[in-house]
Amino acid sequence: MVSTTPHKGSRGAATRRTRLLFAVLGAAAILVGWWLLSLWVNPAIMASPADTARAIARLAWGDTLWIQLLITLKRLVLGLGIGVATGWVLGVLGGLEPRVRSFLEPLRWVGMTIPAVIIAVLAMLWFGLGDVTVIFMVTLIVIPTIYVNTVSGVLAIDRRLVEMGHVYRFSRRLLLTEVYLPGIASPAMAGLTLATGIAVRAVVLGEVLGAMDGIGHAFSRAMSYLETPELFAWIVVLLALMGLIEFGALRPLKRWAMRWRKAAE
Amino acid sequence: MITFLHVSKSFDSLKVLHDLSFHIAAGQIVGIVGPSGSGKTTILRLITGILAPDGGTVTVAEAAVGYVFQEPRLLPWRTALDNVAAPLRAQGLDKARARSVASHWLERMGLQGFERYHPAELSGGMAQRVSIARAFATEPSILVMDEPFSNMDATLKAALLGILQGIIKERDTTVVYVTHELTEALQLADRIVELNPGGGLRELDLSDRAAVAREWLATTLGDLQV
Repeated sequence: MVSTTPHKGSRGAATRRTRLLFAVLGAAAILVGWWLLSLWVNPAIMASPADTARAIARLAWGDTLWIQLLITLKRLVLGLGIGVATGWVLGVLGGLEPRVRSFLEPLRWVGMTIPAVIIAVLAMLWFGLGDVTVIFMVTLIVIPTIYVNTVSGVLAIDRRLVEMGHVYRFSRRLLLTEVYLPGIASPAMAGLTLATGIAVRAVVLGEVLGAMDGIGHAFSRAMSYLETPELFAWIVVLLALMGLIEFGALRPLKRWAMRWRKAAE
Repeated sequence: MITFLHVSKSFDSLKVLHDLSFHIAAGQIVGIVGPSGSGKTTILRLITGILAPDGGTVTVAEAAVGYVFQEPRLLPWRTALDNVAAPLRAQGLDKARARSVASHWLERMGLQGFERYHPAELSGGMAQRVSIARAFATEPSILVMDEPFSNMDATLKAALLGILQGIIKERDTTVVYVTHELTEALQLADRIVELNPGGGLRELDLSDRAAVAREWLATTLGDLQV
C-alpha cells in the first residue's frame, strides 16, 4: 500500500498587514497633498478637504446625495450587467468558434475604436435625454472590453484539459462548467474590473451630456454654478462608489472565483 | 477488442506510423515499448479516438476507456476528490455517489486525507496517482496508460505497479501500456510489442522474460558488462 500523510503550511499574515499599512499611508499622502494644494490655490477652483467634507455632509443631510447616487448606481448596474453578460456570451462563443470570432471582429474593432463621446451623442440623438441613453452608452462601451478578455481567456485554456474531457466523454455542459468557465475565471475577472472602471467613467460622461439627473449631472450643475466644494463633494462620492464596488463586490467575487489558487499558495 | 489494420499516420511531413496491423484481445495487457518518436503515444491517441488515422482502420469495441496521460492533466481548480469524480458525473452519477466512488479510489492509491487538496498542493507523483484513480474509477473495459510512472521514484513505482497488477487482474481490464522501460513492461504485460521509428513493429517472445530483460539491458548499457 502506498501511503502519504497530509500537511499544510502557514500563510503570510504579516506580509498582508504590511501591504495594508502602505496602502493606508498612500491614501493619507493623497489627502495631505490635496490639503496642501488647497492652501495655495484659489478656493474657487480647488476646495479644501474640510470644505468638501462639509459639502458632503450638507448633501447627505437632505435627499440629494442619496437620490442622485441611486440613479447613477441603477444606470451603472444595468449598463454593466447587460454589457458584461453580452460580452461574456459573445466571448465564449468567439473563443470556441473561429468563424464567430471572424464575424464579430469588425464589430469589436468599431466598438473599441469609436470615442465614448460619439456614442453619447448618437445615443442622445436616438433616445433623447435620460436612463436609456446612459445605459445604452455604458453597455456599448463595456461589451468590447469584456469580449476581448473572454476570447483570450478561452483561447488560453489548456487544450490538454479539453482533450482529457473528450476522452472521458464530458457532456458539453460538463465541459463548460468543469473546464471552460473555471479556466476563463481569471481573465474574466480582470476584464470585469477593467470594465467597471470604464463603466463608471461612461455613466458619468453619459449623465453630463445626456441626462437631467444622476451624479454626472449634479457634478456638471455644480461646475456651471461654480459651487466648487459641491463639485469636489461629487468627485469624492464617485470615488466612494467605486471603492464600494471594488472592495465590496469585485474583490470578494474574485476571491470566490479564484479560491482554488489561494488554496494552492 | 482493439484492431489496427494497415494503419498509417503522419504529422505534416513526419511519417509516424506506416502500414501498422495488430490485434489486442479482451483482457490482454499489452506493453508498447520503443524509443521517443516511434509513435507509441500516437497509437494510444488513435485507440481513444483523439486522433483519426490517415489510412487504414482502427476498430475499438464500444466500451468505457480510461486514460492515464503522461502528465496528470488534473483540473487545477478542482480538488483531488472532484477531479476523480468528474468523469463519473459524465457517466451520469450524481455528485454524492461520484464523490463516494472517487474517495474509494483515492484511498486505494494511498491518498486518503488528500481528498480536499488541489493539484498544485500535491507532488508530481501524488498528482499522477490521482490521475490513475480517475482512470480506474470509471471502471473502464479498456485502460490506456502513457508512461504513467515517469514522475515517480523507484520505490513508489514498484508499489504502484503491484497495486495496478492487482486491480487489472481483478477487473479483467484490457490494458495498453506505453513505456520506454522494458523492465516495467515485463512486470505488467502479457504481451510486449516493440515499435521502431518509421512505424515497424516487432512482437517480443516472452517465454523467457529474464532473457528478454538481459538482452534489453545489454542493448541499453552498450559496452558495459551486464
